[in-house]
Amino acid sequence: MLRARRERTSGIWKPASRFACIFVLSLVALTVVWPRIAGPYAVAIEHVVRPALHAVEATDPSVVHRDGSEIWIYRHIGGGRVTPVVWFDRYAFFAIVPLLALLMATPGLAWRSRGLRTLGALAALFLVHVAYLVISVELLYAASGTRSLEGWQLMVRVLWEAAPIGIWVAFTAGAWRVQLKRWMDGSKARCRAAAPIGASG
Amino acid sequence: MRVRGWLRLRGLVRSRRFWVTGALFLGTLAGLLWVSGSAGSMAVIQRGLARITGALLNILGHSASVSGITVGTEAFGISVVTACTGIFTLGLYLLAVIAYPCGWICKLFGVVLGAGGVFLLNLVRLISLYYVGIHMPQHFDVVHQLVWQSLMIAFVVLLWLFWAGRWTHASRKA
Repeated sequence: MLRARRERTSGIWKPASRFACIFVLSLVALTVVWPRIAGPYAVAIEHVVRPALHAVEATDPSVVHRDGSEIWIYRHIGGGRVTPVVWFDRYAFFAIVPLLALLMATPGLAWRSRGLRTLGALAALFLVHVAYLVISVELLYAASGTRSLEGWQLMVRVLWEAAPIGIWVAFTAGAWRVQLKRWMDGSKARCRAAAPIGASG
Repeated sequence: MRVRGWLRLRGLVRSRRFWVTGALFLGTLAGLLWVSGSAGSMAVIQRGLARITGALLNILGHSASVSGITVGTEAFGISVVTACTGIFTLGLYLLAVIAYPCGWICKLFGVVLGAGGVFLLNLVRLISLYYVGIHMPQHFDVVHQLVWQSLMIAFVVLLWLFWAGRWTHASRKA
C-alpha cells in the first residue's frame, strides 16, 4: 500500500524535479544576460509604441522617449512644452525571463518545435507589452480628473502579470496534455505493479 | 471527427458541472479583482503579512518593528505593497485549479494547497529580500523584480502540476 503510494508520487516528482532544475538553471543564465537584452528590447518597444500611440490618440498628446532600457511617456501641455506622465522601467518587461525559462523547461518538445514555439511566444509577449504600455497611458489620461478607472487599471495589471503564464500555456498546452497523460498512465502502471495481489484501488 | 467534437461540446454545455464550474471560475475571478482593488481588504492582508514577517525577523534575531505595511530594522526596511502579497499569482493558480476537471473535494484540496504554498513562499521571499537588501543592496532590484517574480511563477506551475498529477489522479481512483 505504502509502496504503491510512493510509486505514484515518484511518477510526478521526477519530471517535476527535472522541470524545476531546468527552470532554475535557465533563470540564472537569463538573469545574467537580462541587462543586455533589456536595452534592445526597450528600443523595439519604443519603435512600435510610438506609432501605436499616434494611431489611438486623436490629438496626439503623447511623446515617447527612451532612456537606456526605460521608456518615458511625456504629454504636450501647450507652448511646445511637455510634462512627464509615466515611466516604465526595464522590469516592466521582465516577463521575457520567466517565459523563456518556462519554454526551456517544458518537457517533450523537439528542438525545432521548441524554437518555433519560443519565437511565437516571444512575439505574443511583445504585443502584450506594447498593448500594456498603450492601454496604461490611455487609462491614465482617461482617469484624470474625477473619473476613477481603478478597476480597469487593475485588470490591465493582472493581464500584464499573467501574460508569461498565459502565453506559455497557450503555446505548450498540446505538449503538456501529452505529458500529463503519459505521467498519469505511467503512475497507474507503476501502482498496478506495486500493489499487492488481491488489493483493490 | 468534427461531429464527435461537436457532440462532446454539446454534452459538456448541457452538463450542470460545466455551468457550476464556469460560475465558480468567474466568481473567483471577480472576487480576486474585487479584493485586490479594495484598499481596505488589501490593507488587512498587507498589514498581516508585514506583522508575520516582522515576527519571523525577530525570531531570526533582528530587532524588527512593524508600522502599517512597512517592516524594518535600523539596517533596512521593506514595504508590503499589493503586488508583494502574491495575490495575482495565487489567483492564476486558483483559476487553473477550478478549471481542471476533477471532484469538488479535490478542487478544495488544491485551493488549500495553493493558498498555503503561496503564503509560505511569499514569507520566504520577504525574509530573503530583507537579507538581500542588507547584504547585497546592489542586487535588490534584480532579485525583487526578476528572480522572485519568476520563481513565484514557476512555483505555482509546479504546485499545480503536482496537484493535477498526484491528487486529481488519487481522487478519481477513489
